Amino acid sequence: MKQCLLSVRDLHVNFDTVRAIDGVSFDLVAGESLAIIGETGSGKTTLARALLGLHPAGSVQGSIRLNGSELIGLGERDWGQVRWKTIALAVQNAASGFDPVYRVGEQIIEPMRQHLSLPNGQSRARALALAEQVGLTERHLHAYPHQLSGGEKQRLMLAMALSCDPDLLILDEPTSGQDMLSRERMIALLRRLRAERHFALLLISHDLAAAAALTDHTAVLYAGKLAETGDTRAVFTMPRHPYSWGLLNAYPNMTTSRDLSSIRGQMPDPTQPPSGCRFHPRCTQAVEDCRHREPQLEYHDGRQIACHLGGLQTLLSVQNLHKSFSLNGSGPLPAVRDVSLDILHGEVVAVVGETGSGKTTLGKLLVGLLEPDAGDIAFDHAPHQIQMIPQDPFESVNPLFTVQAIVQEPLDIQRVGTRIERTGVVRETLAAVGLPTDDRFLARRPQELSGGQLQRVVIARALVLQPKLLVADEPVSMLDPSEAARLMNLMKSIQNERGMGLLLISHDIALVRKVADRILVMRDGAIIEQGLSSVITSQPEHDYTRSLLAAAPAFDWFSHNGGR
Amino acid sequence: MQNWLPRAAELTAPDKPSALRRILHTTLGLEGVVGLLLLLFFVVIALFAPMIAPHDPNDFTGRPLERPGVVHPLGTNDVGQDILSELIYGTRVSLLIAVGVAIGTVTLAVLIGGTAGYAGGWIDNLLMRLVDVMLAVPRLPLLILITVLAGAGLAQMTLTMALLFWPGLTRVIRAEVQRLRGRPFVRLARHFGASPLHIFRRHLLPALVPLIVFGLVTAAGRAVAMEAALAFLGLGDPAAKSWGLMMRYALNLPGLLLTDRWLWWLLPPGVCITLLILALTFTGMALENRIDNRGQTR
Amino acid sequence: MRQQSGYKNRFSSYLLSLWVILTVNFLLPRLLPGDPLAALLDTDSGSYVFDPAVRTSLEAYYGLDVPLGQQYLRYLGGLLTGDLGQSIRLKQPVLDLLIKHLPWTLLLTLTSLSIASLIGLWGGSEAAWRRKSTLDKALVALSVVVSNIPAFFTGMILLIIFGATLDWLPLSGGRTAFARYDSPMAALWDYASHLLLPALTLTLALLGSKFLLVRSSMIGVLNEDYMLVVRAKGLPPNRAKRHHALRNAILPFIHHLAAHTGFALTGALIIETLFAYPGIGRLIFDSVVARDYPVIQGVFLVVALLVLSANLLADWLTVRLDPRLREI
Repeated sequence: MKQCLLSVRDLHVNFDTVRAIDGVSFDLVAGESLAIIGETGSGKTTLARALLGLHPAGSVQGSIRLNGSELIGLGERDWGQVRWKTIALAVQNAASGFDPVYRVGEQIIEPMRQHLSLPNGQSRARALALAEQVGLTERHLHAYPHQLSGGEKQRLMLAMALSCDPDLLILDEPTSGQDMLSRERMIALLRRLRAERHFALLLISHDLAAAAALTDHTAVLYAGKLAETGDTRAVFTMPRHPYSWGLLNAYPNMTTSRDLSSIRGQMPDPTQPPSGCRFHPRCTQAVEDCRHREPQLEYHDGRQIACHLGGLQTLLSVQNLHKSFSLNGSGPLPAVRDVSLDILHGEVVAVVGETGSGKTTLGKLLVGLLEPDAGDIAFDHAPHQIQMIPQDPFESVNPLFTVQAIVQEPLDIQRVGTRIERTGVVRETLAAVGLPTDDRFLARRPQELSGGQLQRVVIARALVLQPKLLVADEPVSMLDPSEAARLMNLMKSIQNERGMGLLLISHDIALVRKVADRILVMRDGAIIEQGLSSVITSQPEHDYTRSLLAAAPAFDWFSHNGGR
Repeated sequence: MQNWLPRAAELTAPDKPSALRRILHTTLGLEGVVGLLLLLFFVVIALFAPMIAPHDPNDFTGRPLERPGVVHPLGTNDVGQDILSELIYGTRVSLLIAVGVAIGTVTLAVLIGGTAGYAGGWIDNLLMRLVDVMLAVPRLPLLILITVLAGAGLAQMTLTMALLFWPGLTRVIRAEVQRLRGRPFVRLARHFGASPLHIFRRHLLPALVPLIVFGLVTAAGRAVAMEAALAFLGLGDPAAKSWGLMMRYALNLPGLLLTDRWLWWLLPPGVCITLLILALTFTGMALENRIDNRGQTR
Repeated sequence: MRQQSGYKNRFSSYLLSLWVILTVNFLLPRLLPGDPLAALLDTDSGSYVFDPAVRTSLEAYYGLDVPLGQQYLRYLGGLLTGDLGQSIRLKQPVLDLLIKHLPWTLLLTLTSLSIASLIGLWGGSEAAWRRKSTLDKALVALSVVVSNIPAFFTGMILLIIFGATLDWLPLSGGRTAFARYDSPMAALWDYASHLLLPALTLTLALLGSKFLLVRSSMIGVLNEDYMLVVRAKGLPPNRAKRHHALRNAILPFIHHLAAHTGFALTGALIIETLFAYPGIGRLIFDSVVARDYPVIQGVFLVVALLVLSANLLADWLTVRLDPRLREI
C-alpha cells in the first residue's frame, strides 16, 4: 500500500481571462512517475508551476494535497518549506535557468544552505557528489553558466534540483530542443537517477518518446483539461481518446513509415474555450451532445477517458462477412471468406492484396453494391454516407454528362437545397479537389479530361453528400506516378480536413503505407494479417506479407536484395 | 523562369497605407494625446502671434517694470516692453529652432546612418567610429564654446545643434537599415538592377518613417531645452527674443526675488519652456511605444 | 579573444575621442568665422583687450604669429605641462582657476549622482517588484514628468520657494563668505546648507531617468527563467530581490550612469549659474559674459575629460561585475 504523495483535485488556474488549467485532477504515488503530455498551449507549464505555488495567489483554485496537507492557500513562508525540499523543479531552458553572474556551484549550494543548514564543507561535498552523479566534475561547479555547454547545464540543473533530496521532481520539457543523442543520454541519466534516489517524477513534455521511456502512467492534457489518463504503454499503443489518437499519429519517430499527419483545426483560444467538450470542433466523431456538455473523466477498461462516447468510436464494423459467386457450371467461388474488420472514426485503413484476393469484392460489399451471403456490416450513419471511388473513372461516369452534372447528381437525387445552392456546393467541392470552377470547366465532358482530372471529378462527386467513409478501390492505379502522388495527397488531406474515414483498397503496399494508419493483408478472400502500418511494413509476421513487401517497387536499383 | 516572377512581385511590394495614416491610426495613448494637443496649442500661438499679441514685443510700449494691468497683462520688462507679447512671440523662436534642429538632425542621421547600415564594411566602421567619438564629447560646453566664438545667431545655433545631435539617432537608424537590407524584397530589387538610391527611396525610407518622426520629435525637444539653457547662460540671440533670454534678463535684475516681480516675468517663460519640452517628450514617448509594439516598422 | 579586443577597442576609441576633443579645442577659436582671436587684438572690435600684459600672454598662448602646425604642437606641449593659458578677465592661469573651482562642481555633481542613484536603485527595484500596483503606476507617471522638467526650472522654483518666500536657506555661494568656523560640525553645516538647494535641484533632474531605467531593467530580469528557479528554490524574497535580481539589473544601470555623466555635469553648470555656486559652471558663466576664451576652452576640456573618465570607469566596473564579459 503505497503512500499517495500528491493528490490534485479540480485544479483551476486563471490569468485574467485566460483559463489555463480548467479542472484537472490526478494522483501520484510516492516513487512513481507520471507524464503529462500535451502540445504547446495545453497548460502543461502552468500546471508545473502551480504545483510549486509560483502563480499569484488569487489565480489558483482547487486542491493540491501533498502527503495529506493542503498546499493551495499557503503563504510564501510556508511554501518556502515545501519548495525544493519536497518538490523540486528543473526548468525547460537550462541555459536561462542559472543566474549568469554567479558560479554554478554556488547556485547548487544555495538551496542546501537555505533548507538543510549544513556547514559549508558538507554542502560543498554534497554538491560535488551530485555533480559526479550526473557525470560532471568540480571544474564544472567552479564555472559560470555561460562557460558551460547546453548539455552540461541541463545535467547541472538536474543536480541542483536534486540537491535537497526532494520527494517529487517536476521536469519541464527536459528534452526539448536537443539533438537525438543528447536526448538519449538525458533519458538514460534520468532513469539511473530515479533508480538510485527513488523520487517520484512528474514529467511535463510534448516529447512522447521520452514520456514512453521514463514513465509508468500518462495523462493527456488538452486545452487545460485532461482527455485521457492511464498506463503509459497502454495509452501509447492504443490511445482511446480522439485527441490522444490524433496526437500519437502526428508524432514522428523512427517506426513511423507514414508522412506526418496533423490534427485538423487549431488549439482553441484560451480566453474563449469551445462550449461543451473542448475538443469537439476538431473531433471527427463529435455528436450534438459534445457541443453542449463537458465530458468528465470516466473509467473505461482501466483507463480514464473524458469523452461522451467513451473514446474512439468505430465507424464501420464488419463481422464474419462471406460472399461467393457462382460461375456457370462450377461450384460457388468464395470471393470473401469470414472477413472481420473495424474502421475507427477518422482512420485510414488499407486493404492490400494481389488481384483476385477479394479486396474489390469486399469494397463493393461495404458500399452496398453487393449483398453479402452472411455476416454483419454495422455503419452508424446513413447508407449514402459511405461513398466509393472506383478504379476506372471513365467507367463510373456517364460520358454524356457534363462535369457539373456528374458532380451535382447525388445532390439532385437527394434533393438537397435549391438548384443554385447545389451548384454552389459543386463549385466548392471542385475547388476542394483542386479543379477549376469556372463555367467552361463545368461544361466539359469526361473525354475532354485527363485521367487524373476525371478521378478528381469522381472524388468530388463522392464528397458532395458529406460522407463519413470513403472507400477507394485502386484509385490511382491508372494514373501516372506524379498524378498518382498528387491524388493520394489530396485524398489524405480531404480525409483529414473533413474527418472522414478512408478505406484504401490497393495492390501497392508501398503506396498505401504512406497514408494508412492500419494495413490489412488479404489473400484468397481472407485477412491473413493486420496491424499498424508501421509495424506491418517493418516487422511483418506472415511470409506472404513479406513477399508482398519484397515485391514492392523500391528505388534501390543497385541493390541485389530486391530491397525495400 | 516564368514561375518565380509572380512570387517576386508579391515580395517587392509591402503594403503601404499612407505613412501619416499609419502614425495616427493606432491609439497613441494618454501621453500622446496630451503631448499632441499641447504641441498644437503652441503651434497655433506661434502662427497667429501677430493677431494674438497685444503689442509688438520690440516696441517700448510702457514704462519699465510696470505691474500687470489692462494694457500689459503681464507687465513690462526692464526696458518697457510688453512681457506677454514677448512670451507669445517667443513661441516662434522656440519652435523655429526646434523645427530647424529637428530637420537638420534627422537629415544627417538618415544620410549617415542609412549609408553606414546599407554599405556595411569599412564605411560602416568608419562612420560608427565617428559616431562613438562624437558621443563622447560633452554637448553643452562645446555649444557654449562655439557660440561664444562664433556669435549667438539663431542660424548658427541651429546648425551647431544639428551637428551635435545627429549621432544619437544615427545608431538606431543604422540598425534598422541593416535589418531591412537583409529582407528578401530588397535583395530581389537589387537583383532587378535597382540602384541603391532607388532602394533607399522606395523601400527603406518609407519603412523608416516611424523612426524619423520619433527622431524629429526627440531632437526638437532637446533643441528647445538646449536653446533655453544657452539663453539662460547669456548666450541667446539678442535679436530673437526667446523664452530663455527673457529669463536671463529677469534674473539680471537685482533683487528680483525680493519682490513678487518674478511671478509675471520669470515664471511664465519658465513654464512655457517646460510645457513645450513636455509636449514634445510625451509625443515622443507615445511614438516610441508604437514603434516598440509593432516590433519595428510595418 | 573577442571580448578582450572589445575592451581594447573601447579604450582606443576613447583615446581617439580624446585626441579629437583636444584638436577641436585647438581648431575652434582659430577657424570659426569672425576670427575671434584676431578680435581680441583688434582695437576696433568689441572684444579688444586693453591690458597689455594680458595681451602679451594671449599672444604667447595662442601663438598666432607662427604657422598652424607649429601652433598645434606648441598647444599639445603646453597641455602636457598644464599650460592652459591665462584668463583675460582675472589675469590668472586658467589651470589655477580650474583647480580652485572644480572641487565645488565635483561636490555638487557627485553628491547628486549618488543620492539620485541610491534612490533610483531602491525605488526602481521596489517598483519593479510590485509592478502594475497603483504605487508603481503613480511613481512611473511622476518620474516621467519630473525627468522632463528642465533643471533650471526646478531650480528656479526651489529658489523662489526657499529663497524668496521662506528664507530658510542661503541662496548663493558655496559657503558663507569670510566665515570662521568654531568646530568641524559648524563648517560642515555651513557647507551643507549651501549645497542643499543646488544638490536637491540636480538630484531631482537626474532622479527620473534613473528610476525608470532601474525599474525597466529590473522588470526584464524578473521575467527571466532563473528568477523563477530562485523562487522555486524557496529562497526568501529579499535574497531573490537583492542578491539575484538587483545584481543583474545593475549592469545596464552602470552604463547609463556613465552616459549620463555628461548630462549631470551640464545640469550642474546651469544650476551653479542659478544658485551662484562657486563651481566651474559659475566660472563659465562669468567667462561667457566677458568673452574669456581661454577659460571657456579650459572648462570644455575638463568636462570632456571627466566624461571620458566616467565612461572608462563604467566599462571597467561592468567587466568586473559581469562574468560574461571576462571571457577570452
